[in-house]
Amino acid sequence: MPSSFLALTSFKDKYSTSPSSFQVSSGREVMENSAPLQESSLAPSNGTLGNSSLSPSIVTDHMCASALPHVQHSHNPAFISQSSRDLASLPPLDASFSQSTASLIRTQGNKDVSWSLDRLQMFLDLPENTPAPNQLVESSTGVLASEDHNKKTNWQEWADDLINVVDPDWSKILDNTNVLNPRVEVPKPSGDISKQQPQFHQNQLVPHGEFSSHAYPSSTAPPTKPRMRWTPELHEAFLEAVNQLGGSERATPKGILKLMNVEGLTIYHVKSHLQKYRTARYMPETSEGTSEKRITSIEEMKSIDLKTSIGITEALRLQVEVQKQLHEQLEIQRNLQLRIEEQGRYLQMMFEKQKKVEDEKGGVPSSASDDLLAPLPGSKHPPCNNGKSDSEALEQDHSRTGIGPGNAGTNEDKSSSGVSTKQKMLETESTVHDESGFSVSKRARTEK
Amino acid sequence: MKFGKRLKQQIEETFPTWRDQFLCYKELKKLIKLISSALPPTKYGKAKAEFVYMLNNEINKFNVFFMEQEEDFIICHKELQQRIKTVMDKWSSNGSRTEYTDEMAEIRNDIVDFHGEMVLLENYSNINFTGLAKILKKYDKRTGGLLRLPFIQKVLKQPFFTIDLVSKLVKECGNIIDEVLFPIEEDKEETKEQKGAIMVATEPVKGIFRNTVVALLTMEEIRRVSSTKDHFSLPPLNLPHSHLIHSFQLNSPIPIL
Repeated sequence: MPSSFLALTSFKDKYSTSPSSFQVSSGREVMENSAPLQESSLAPSNGTLGNSSLSPSIVTDHMCASALPHVQHSHNPAFISQSSRDLASLPPLDASFSQSTASLIRTQGNKDVSWSLDRLQMFLDLPENTPAPNQLVESSTGVLASEDHNKKTNWQEWADDLINVVDPDWSKILDNTNVLNPRVEVPKPSGDISKQQPQFHQNQLVPHGEFSSHAYPSSTAPPTKPRMRWTPELHEAFLEAVNQLGGSERATPKGILKLMNVEGLTIYHVKSHLQKYRTARYMPETSEGTSEKRITSIEEMKSIDLKTSIGITEALRLQVEVQKQLHEQLEIQRNLQLRIEEQGRYLQMMFEKQKKVEDEKGGVPSSASDDLLAPLPGSKHPPCNNGKSDSEALEQDHSRTGIGPGNAGTNEDKSSSGVSTKQKMLETESTVHDESGFSVSKRARTEK
Repeated sequence: MKFGKRLKQQIEETFPTWRDQFLCYKELKKLIKLISSALPPTKYGKAKAEFVYMLNNEINKFNVFFMEQEEDFIICHKELQQRIKTVMDKWSSNGSRTEYTDEMAEIRNDIVDFHGEMVLLENYSNINFTGLAKILKKYDKRTGGLLRLPFIQKVLKQPFFTIDLVSKLVKECGNIIDEVLFPIEEDKEETKEQKGAIMVATEPVKGIFRNTVVALLTMEEIRRVSSTKDHFSLPPLNLPHSHLIHSFQLNSPIPIL
């Protein structure tokens, strides 16, 4: 018993941070997030947005049909019906293309594919049929074309542009002081910030733009409810406010909001959270997931009968053991994945640096430089690369350069330094792999 | 198609409300096929933007769902702590022993299920990430693009993949469980097998235990040596008590995988 008390008090201590330290700087986020969008100079014309906003409806309609009722605060039903009307009014499809895709649909016999085909058709035909919304499409094509022609050397910038392009600047459409940013953009600052002190991360609100409801800034769209990320500290503050106001039944969202006094928190956030809280109190299940799988009474009795044969406590122990194992394995797997991606990114950056150095040197052609440069852009190599990744190709070239013919004087230093850098990278690579349990034979296999 | 098949099984086994929240892997694969085969190379740029748009939609879906669940977990975690404290207080003052046991039994059930559900959300996060990584790899392979590396960097920072909070809650919950469930001596492997089989057979359909076993086995399967292994592939999974977990499905009348 005493040990349990100790455990409880320690838990309480963990959560007893002062709520007054919450300063959510959503305003700052607006600046950070809208800036890149403005740089890419999108022209949000109605036609374009009407087009690009169609996909969410198609996605939700055909791809994940019953997602709507389960997600409480997002997609607007009115929006869906409106978009289906828009579908009907699309420009006529290109004859030859629709023929080939129609046959594809027939052979597939699958409704799932048809939406993507339709979507692609619309997307591809639009510039030919409607000159007005050309701007957005052109700029996206421009960004991608430049990548294809390997004009962009900084792939990170390009990636930012790419993802910016497909996320229209919603804040321009709606005059809304709340941060309603495209989903990919918003988590970026929080991701960076989370690397700093944990305190700040806990204070961070990530308002999540519901772009689906922004698509049609008409009166039928409901007031936007930006999604935010709750933390235990925030919840503690919420609880304090609720208790001060006399409990979950008596407290009102407005009162709670006022008492909590957290910048960036809206009444919608509080409302939905209060609803969840009330449900959790009076139905002491884990969440809707558990209540969903509530079995019928007959099955329940049967299950209890059988379970007593192994003892409920033991059954629970077994369950916990399996769950803990899954948690552990997931943790390991996630860390591995992070390291692998980190490694890939590092290698790619080295590539970029190497290429820049080569370019600056005036691009004196030598067999060594060519070998180094060759695998860099994926576009220069056709897809039939036998599924080799960039890093694999890098390894091969490394071995080639290592034993290549004698280089010209000026290049030799560069190449050797380049080789030694790559050597280091490969060494770190192999240590990472060895740590993660890769066998040495694998390395030999890739270097064949 | 191995991952696709495994993902499909996972989805079939999962809670009904979760079923539509997973990655639409098959559809995305078809889209890639369409892009690479049906389109003339001049239209690749637009198709690529289209593809990225689809991916962003998926990511948005994950984020929304994940954060909803996370919020529920925060509330539930606090409530469970509260319940335990209430029961402890009651018992320490003058409650009856049987009452205490009954209430604690209920709390134990709930807390174990809660722990399980959080772990399954972690699994949800990971399997969708894995699927995205695979899809991106396929895209690069079939279209000769360079989408994967930069895009994945973005994904890494998404809410649905930054699971630190849920992970922390799981650990804390695990600690509470170790205190609440009084430690019993280790069972022999054979009895464990039988118990596991009974649990799988008698658990409600799509129950947490079954789900968890499926998730573990799926992970093991996905990480078997693959044909397209490169520097971005994960090493094979080394499950402790792997034979035990496998035995759960062998004895069960309802096959898991």
